[in-house]
Amino acid sequence: MKHGQAWRASFLGRRAGGAAGRALAAVAVLLAAALTVVAVPAQAQTRFVFANESPYDTMDPHAAFDVGRVAVRLNLYDGLYRWLDNPPALQPWLAESHTVSADGLTYTFKLRRGAKFHDGTEITADDVRYSIERILALKKGAASLLGTMVAPGSTKVVDRHTVQFSLTKPSAIFLAVVPEVHVVNSALLKKQEKEGDWGAAWLTSNDAGSGSYLLSRYDPAIGFIAKRFPGHFMAWGPKYIDEIEFRHVKEDNTRVLGMIKGDYQGTGGYLPADQVKRLREAPNVKMVEQESMRIMMFQINNQRAPLNDVNVRRAISYAFDYDGFNKEILGGSVERNPVPIPNNLWGVPRDVKGYTYDLDKAKQELARAKTKVDRPLTVGYLTGFSQTEQAATVMANGLRKAGIETKIVSELWPAMVERMKKPETSPDLVVYWISTYYADPNNWIGEMFHSGQWGTFKASSFYKNAKVDELLDVALKSTDRKVREKAYQDAARIVVDEAAGVWIYNTKYFGPWAKTLEGIRFSPIGNGQEMRWVHYAK
Amino acid sequence: MSGLGFVLARLARDRSALIGLVLILALVACAVFAPLLATHPEDVLELHPAERLKPPGPEHWLGTDRMGSDIYSRLLFGARITILIGLIAVGASLLVGVLAGLVAGYYHGWLSDLVMRVSDIFLAVPQVVLAIAIAQTLGPSLPNVILALSATYWPWFARVVYAETRALQKEVFVESTAALGASPWRLVVLHVLPNIASPIIVRASIGMGFTILTAAALGFLGLGPPPPTPEWGRTIAEAREFLPDAWWYAAAPGLAIFLTVMGFNLLGDGLRDVLDPRIRRSGGRHDA
Amino acid sequence: MRLLALVLRRLAWFVPTLVGLLAVTFVVSRVVPADPVALVAGDTATPAQVEALRRQLGLDRSLPVQFVTYVGGLLRGDMGTSLFTTRPIAEDLASRLPATIELTLVAMVVSVAVGIPLGVVSALWRNSVLDHVVRVVTVSGLAIASFWLGIMLQLLFAMRLGWAPLNGRLRGFPPQGVTGLFLIDAPLAGDWAAFGNALAHLALPAATLAFPALATLVRFTRAGVLDVMQSNFVLYERAMGLPPSVIVWKYILRSALTSTVTQIGLLFGILLAGAVVTETVFDWPGIGTYAVNSIIRSDYNGVMGFTVWAGAIFIVVNLVVDIALTFIDPRERVT
Repeated sequence: MKHGQAWRASFLGRRAGGAAGRALAAVAVLLAAALTVVAVPAQAQTRFVFANESPYDTMDPHAAFDVGRVAVRLNLYDGLYRWLDNPPALQPWLAESHTVSADGLTYTFKLRRGAKFHDGTEITADDVRYSIERILALKKGAASLLGTMVAPGSTKVVDRHTVQFSLTKPSAIFLAVVPEVHVVNSALLKKQEKEGDWGAAWLTSNDAGSGSYLLSRYDPAIGFIAKRFPGHFMAWGPKYIDEIEFRHVKEDNTRVLGMIKGDYQGTGGYLPADQVKRLREAPNVKMVEQESMRIMMFQINNQRAPLNDVNVRRAISYAFDYDGFNKEILGGSVERNPVPIPNNLWGVPRDVKGYTYDLDKAKQELARAKTKVDRPLTVGYLTGFSQTEQAATVMANGLRKAGIETKIVSELWPAMVERMKKPETSPDLVVYWISTYYADPNNWIGEMFHSGQWGTFKASSFYKNAKVDELLDVALKSTDRKVREKAYQDAARIVVDEAAGVWIYNTKYFGPWAKTLEGIRFSPIGNGQEMRWVHYAK
Repeated sequence: MSGLGFVLARLARDRSALIGLVLILALVACAVFAPLLATHPEDVLELHPAERLKPPGPEHWLGTDRMGSDIYSRLLFGARITILIGLIAVGASLLVGVLAGLVAGYYHGWLSDLVMRVSDIFLAVPQVVLAIAIAQTLGPSLPNVILALSATYWPWFARVVYAETRALQKEVFVESTAALGASPWRLVVLHVLPNIASPIIVRASIGMGFTILTAAALGFLGLGPPPPTPEWGRTIAEAREFLPDAWWYAAAPGLAIFLTVMGFNLLGDGLRDVLDPRIRRSGGRHDA
Repeated sequence: MRLLALVLRRLAWFVPTLVGLLAVTFVVSRVVPADPVALVAGDTATPAQVEALRRQLGLDRSLPVQFVTYVGGLLRGDMGTSLFTTRPIAEDLASRLPATIELTLVAMVVSVAVGIPLGVVSALWRNSVLDHVVRVVTVSGLAIASFWLGIMLQLLFAMRLGWAPLNGRLRGFPPQGVTGLFLIDAPLAGDWAAFGNALAHLALPAATLAFPALATLVRFTRAGVLDVMQSNFVLYERAMGLPPSVIVWKYILRSALTSTVTQIGLLFGILLAGAVVTETVFDWPGIGTYAVNSIIRSDYNGVMGFTVWAGAIFIVVNLVVDIALTFIDPRERVT
């Protein structure tokens, strides 16, 4: 092609050694520099980076009560007592001791002296009172629990270091929940208050705490960084971590790969079995394995036909392939938990075996049912949590084989919480976990099946049984462990017999940590994300 | 029409367009004959947890997914969904868009301006975003995906038809026919439509490609038909968790999407070259 | 002046188009099944408290009134508050916009820097092996699902080979900066480690985003150059005294430039649309992920905010392109 050649010749003649070549060289140099620089290892100050599944959309300890964002509360704030270790035990923290009145209504806490907030001011009983009032006023987070026991305005400051709570009725779990009263700097927040918001707008992105670490950077799209607070009331050991960073990393795979590569030194310990296996094989990762308390279950909407028929609910309970899910899909990393109390906690009736995967029994129950299942049942799972998606698929499959059609729906957790507040909007079945907020059977069976709890995310069973209510009330009022244990066991037996839900498993915690770390103290409440004892070995 | 024979003959000489046609026919065959071609047709619904994540082998040609179902079989049934979405979405947007374009092109004045500005509005936001918003609002399901895609693709047809109709209006034969008292409908159906058929066909073919890609993106984001539907985009999202080990799980559906869209694109390009070689502004091809 | 008339006419339609866009998005975003007000009010709010919050947010008034209020706010620069983060939308978007701009710019630069030369070379060496390879790549570019491409690149380069980071924009917190574009802020702060870090994180997402844009550019450039070669060659042969290289450069460059500018509007559309999905795959903290998250969380104001931004930018870019075109090539102007 003579013409083509002529064109090319003119073209190339101009081009040779021209600007393009120089530009190309510059780009190459830049790229080389970039790659070398990336390969350079990190800083001298000890740092720890944790990859979290949930975003940290607020720094306010009173705005959230969930496990996904617990790192903020554990590391930046202190409570009167704290749950530590496994099995979890309540340890004095900001309070040195407490006394309870004979009628069980008055709790008086003595604060330790000399504990300071991050800005240097001393922590006093007034701050504690402000904190409980703030929680009750904002009505978020732990308010749903504390509000049933403490009335606004009832908490008294006895003196500078003594604070007194007056309960509305005796409660066996008040002490268990008191760690959730995170003490905030009342003077600071009063200065930041805008239009009576208790400083909420400011605290979303700032720090008013006294915890082991203080906030240094925060970006809701990324996460937060905190620096060690040398003035913390609990003395520091010889080794510690100077700076901790908690970052939101959405994908399981990214967190796992990041651990393997060393980008992160810790991440959440409830990963799928395949990922746990990969992490075990990684040379710079160690697995901290602990028995935990976190139940996965399907809540059944007991108020909506045909689910208000006990035979239909039993049929559903027989239609889930427990072994297929627990042993195959989750690789045996979990334990079947047939009752709504974790196996490893007291209060479980040991003689109750629960339901098995038995399609014949399912069909028999359906035949016996007075209400016919004439519409597809909605099975809800949580967007972004693929284990729930898989559980929903397994359930739908079993139901289909038993003759029940299904429609699978999904929502983000907050949206699902919203739907689960009312029996009219809640799906027929929803699958999710209930973690340990405090180590007591009430955290599960009590909050799940007491009819007074309707409207909370744990009680989307909308179950109502007067006998069960009575047993649960007895258990809450009494402080005698034996009485409580029997009450919970009896309640569990009834609930299981009535198939008020489908309980799948209790988790084990498989926490991946950088191999060089020591001092990890795991507690089912807190999931090992308290950093004050953690340090690098060398 | 002898024109059709002419078109087909020209098309047959274009190798890329032929490849496109073959790909499309293969897709249709997979979809129509899925129950016959699948090795495990029951796996569209069935689960076998004990068999999960097996690599490709003699029993499972493309391996198994996270529930133990055969990937190859589910892929074949996924073709049905893909074609369904594509055909209906493009068909619906064609109907709406052509009508809108005809109205805007034929009439002058505020009606025409209004229609075109409305289509501008729909074009102002990336189709993906609007489709996501609509799909999320209505809820993830097959009909809603189709609705979302139709609602966002019609402006492309409208624009083409508008431009061509306006151009045609200046043609003498149209003016004279109108002067002779022919009704607008007669004019449109008998004279305008046949002349704008070419660009519409070309756009429809290319539109299939875009629509299938957007549908897959919706499925990937979880806004498409719910599980256990074997939609290709959703399968890719499921497979991410198991990378890099079970890489075939993510690679296979992506490859299926690629071949499908490529088929429509190649055919569309070939049709454009044949039907309307005037249109070079969008970069027709120049080789013999 | 025809140019002035064109500009004025297009500008006149800018506002109504934008308002129309807002109206459409407004309607779409308000028709949601879940009630985000109750969500924001919190787990334990009573119905009375939810209603109080609704009144406070102004969401109890009729839709048209809400719309007018919103537009009024827009004119004051107030895009409302995110129902979820309780931060002003404008602030949310502003904090995320640089990430998307950086990604889109880098992808644009890559596609232009690679695409135009490739197109030119492919046209000059027509029907060679290189040309065929380029054309296959081009056709693929528009047939590959960009989210799948991103995942496959991650699989190969991040997971298997470990050459690039898996996702995210930076390992760690960003350099304290002026523009929000790390490639500018980091050198300004002298932080070359951060610069390299940012560049490494940009590699895969920019490649994913650039691929379809690149494919389009190559096609148009190639077509344009071929046009020039065929139509002007006779002219060249007959030209007297002028060095062929000058003519070649003047025409080829012009045609390549015309192709690019013509397509920048289209390119921008591809890039912005691609950004939404690509950002999701790479966990890129830009407005694309913000848009998707807002939609999924029924955060009305977030969705509206994104639409306003994207729509306005789009309309402006198209207007600029149209104007630029009239300067470069009056023939190409679309009436």
